[in-house]
Amino acid sequence: QENLVISSWLPPAHPINVDMLEGLVDMMEEATDGQVTGEIKMGIAPPPAQMDLVMDGAADVTIIFHGYQPGRFIATKLIELPGYEGNAEAASVAYWRVHEAHLAELDEHRGVKLIGLSTHGPGQIHSNKAVNTLADLNGLKTRLGGGVSADVGAELGLVGIQVPAPKVYETLDSGAADGVAMNMGERISFKLNEVAKNVYEMPGGFYRGSFAVLMSQQKFDSLPADVQQALEEEVFGEPFSRLMGAAWDASDVRARAATEEAEDNVIVTASEADQAAFAEMAAKVREKILGEIADAGIDAQAAYEMVKAEMAKESN
Amino acid sequence: MPLLKRLAQLSVAVPMTVAAFTLFGLMVLTFTDVVMRSTFNAPIEAATELTRIAIAVIVFSAMPLLSARGQHITVDLLDPLFVRLHMKRLLDGMVTLLCGVMLWFPASRVIDLAERSRSYGDQTEYLNIPTFYLGWFIAIMTFATALVMVLRGLIILFAPHKLGLIRND
Amino acid sequence: MTEALIGFGVVLALVLLRMPIAFAMGLVGLVGFWMETSWRGAISMVSRLIIDTSQDYGLSVVPLFILMGLFVNKGGISRELYAVSNAFLGHMRGGLAMATIVACGGFAAISGSSLATAATMSKVAMPEMRKFGYADSLSTASIAAGGTLGILIPPSVILVIYGILTETSIGQLFIAGIIPGALGILFYLVAVRITVARNPAAGPAGSRTDWTGRMRALRGVWAVLLLFGLVIGGLYGILDFWPIHLTFSPTEAAGMGAMGAFLIALARRSLSFSDIREVLSETTMTTASLFAVLIGAWIFSNFVNIAGLPEALRTMVSELGLSPWMVMAVILLIYIVLGTVFESLSMLLLTVPIFFPLVTGLGFDPVWFGIVVVVVTEISLITPPVGLNVFVLKGVVGDVTTGTIFRGVTPFWAMDIVRLALLLAVPGLVLYLPSLM
Ligand code: NA
Ligand code: NA
Repeated sequence: QENLVISSWLPPAHPINVDMLEGLVDMMEEATDGQVTGEIKMGIAPPPAQMDLVMDGAADVTIIFHGYQPGRFIATKLIELPGYEGNAEAASVAYWRVHEAHLAELDEHRGVKLIGLSTHGPGQIHSNKAVNTLADLNGLKTRLGGGVSADVGAELGLVGIQVPAPKVYETLDSGAADGVAMNMGERISFKLNEVAKNVYEMPGGFYRGSFAVLMSQQKFDSLPADVQQALEEEVFGEPFSRLMGAAWDASDVRARAATEEAEDNVIVTASEADQAAFAEMAAKVREKILGEIADAGIDAQAAYEMVKAEMAKESN
Repeated sequence: MPLLKRLAQLSVAVPMTVAAFTLFGLMVLTFTDVVMRSTFNAPIEAATELTRIAIAVIVFSAMPLLSARGQHITVDLLDPLFVRLHMKRLLDGMVTLLCGVMLWFPASRVIDLAERSRSYGDQTEYLNIPTFYLGWFIAIMTFATALVMVLRGLIILFAPHKLGLIRND
Repeated sequence: MTEALIGFGVVLALVLLRMPIAFAMGLVGLVGFWMETSWRGAISMVSRLIIDTSQDYGLSVVPLFILMGLFVNKGGISRELYAVSNAFLGHMRGGLAMATIVACGGFAAISGSSLATAATMSKVAMPEMRKFGYADSLSTASIAAGGTLGILIPPSVILVIYGILTETSIGQLFIAGIIPGALGILFYLVAVRITVARNPAAGPAGSRTDWTGRMRALRGVWAVLLLFGLVIGGLYGILDFWPIHLTFSPTEAAGMGAMGAFLIALARRSLSFSDIREVLSETTMTTASLFAVLIGAWIFSNFVNIAGLPEALRTMVSELGLSPWMVMAVILLIYIVLGTVFESLSMLLLTVPIFFPLVTGLGFDPVWFGIVVVVVTEISLITPPVGLNVFVLKGVVGDVTTGTIFRGVTPFWAMDIVRLALLLAVPGLVLYLPSLM
């Protein structure tokens, strides 16, 4: 029996730990009749160190957020673009498929085995100041997670504050930032209902956020062939990516309910006019990012069209 | 010998000056960032990454001198016993030597990791500074620390009267 | 679990053999992690921690708070603090010792270190108490004990390190330290009263200052009030009003405090160029040594983590059927015993990786546990045979024996135990202020 060490840098109760990584363990156990299992170890190293840890065998599996390593990941920004229609499950499945068809060519995860890709649900702006219109975002001091959210933030006129996710509560609470860009589900994980009582919601989101789950290639190669095959067919890739997407969606639903229930929390949905205004900004960001991805050497436009088509298929 | 001594002194004086300037700069940067944000709603967006670089520079600039002076935090509970047994110098020398030798491994690994991050094109978020520069700096200073500790260990063991050579205090 | 316990034993042995604590923890963590995974994995983990810890944004509070304390010191603020406490309390029996306690509390509000607080106040308060014929046991004990407040009353380097190690909010920890710190002052005042009640000759009354004198003395401490108000007010978010929105994170609070202290010292013309150089270089050295131990502690804690000690301890606790409070009692007892011989930071670094997951798993509040750990750490500073604050006193004063100081400290130590019991019985004393944030 193989007990994989799964390294995680997120708070213990976060859906990434409770639903996604534990879900991965369940899936692996089921696919291999218990021959492969895993246990989560928290806090071994900060987020940008995770890929190195797996590459060198200090841990067997980890999850990374691509935006934390600027420069290293470019093609993965594709899934973070604003304007896609559909939930995180549809987007995560489409993400895996487009990776297989286009992005894998760039081999941005070289050195490790990529076993799942996902994006969280639509990213919204959570603030402790009232935000009712797109114009209210101008000058708002906002914590952005990196990746496409930074480009969108620049278009919106947000003033970027850089802090790691676990410090978000403190940063908002102390007033060092007025807001934070995150998907709805993180309202529970980072207690935003207490320190960011307003949600300004853009249907489809301002951006999304790209994650990958990585496994040590060496560890994978050391497994018996039948176990490898079972994992490849039943767990890794699309099935696991789908599970992660569904977990993000479930967390969004839970957090929305909690926010609507909390009397002092409000969710403001962008007006039609603001949606149209943002669509223009989104188009600009899209053009810029697709340009970057094309420069990296793949057919960015075709990849973008594929994500939209696959998401539409999944959403029906 | 005077030349060697001068060289040894310079090799700690230069990093200490760097560390001092960086620390002062960090203080001014944090102050300016807060003032700009509080009064003009215009924080310095690169403040976070500059702060991160600054601490690494401060810490690793000071590390060789700290180790040369033997000022790492140590528990001296049994010192009276070791003194009575005439073992203190032997113990100090061997421990310092061992510490220096053992630092060699992570120091060379830090170089590998820096080169790896260079091959992936890692850079900072706002200023697009390649991260491997700092990796190399940390590696070089860790090597320097290792070297200093090996030297200090040898001097304690074999030439305790020369200890002043690597001290600057 | 066995591996982790053996590892802990080896660290203890190495540390006692004079290996720097950073290296002892790092070495054992490296070798242990190697045995659990691979050499390549272990050395990579260690190297990544060296790279990442030295770039941890949250840790930038460490040099900045140290810097603030040292600049403050150069500004001559300790003398003024003592003058004002003395003006109000000096005429009472034991009054000078009481003034010392209060001045230590005031100095603690701008310094993050207990040793610095004790060292600074001993230079100011000791000659004064000698002049009025105070017993050495009382005068040195009041400084040694008062000095321990340095790490509880914010800012506090120990609380920062606890916050970083456990990912607990440093802002909340700081705010949580205020009431227990104030209680500490109060209880130490009681300890002085007890001492002079039993032996009136130990602390004769000093001279009385009239109200004009008191007001004049009060004017001297504006700088302390300003700095403390700036740092804590900014952290707490009470300076957030139009047109300037002064609210900050701990790092920013430290930066503002350091800059403020620098400007105050400059304005008072008490800062020469060589002073500045000395302060900067002392800060970088202290910072580097703290980072070294932090990196070592993190390496060790990764080994403990991957060897499964936290889970094993949890299982053991549930199998033995221990209630959470029994576990807490055992942990605190271990702290008090370790504290007799261990230096505060080493003790924190060695134990927190092991106890923290257990304690939070049992449902204790991480902020509350942090404060309780700091209070037991304070106790360790004044208990024999190794009490660092006592040694600081001995170093500065010279002609007293450590035995005399330890004897004088006994009532203060007893009051510490009472305070600890109170914080255990009424967690609200710790958690009320942070809950308002
Ligand atoms: Na303090
Ligand atoms: Na002690």
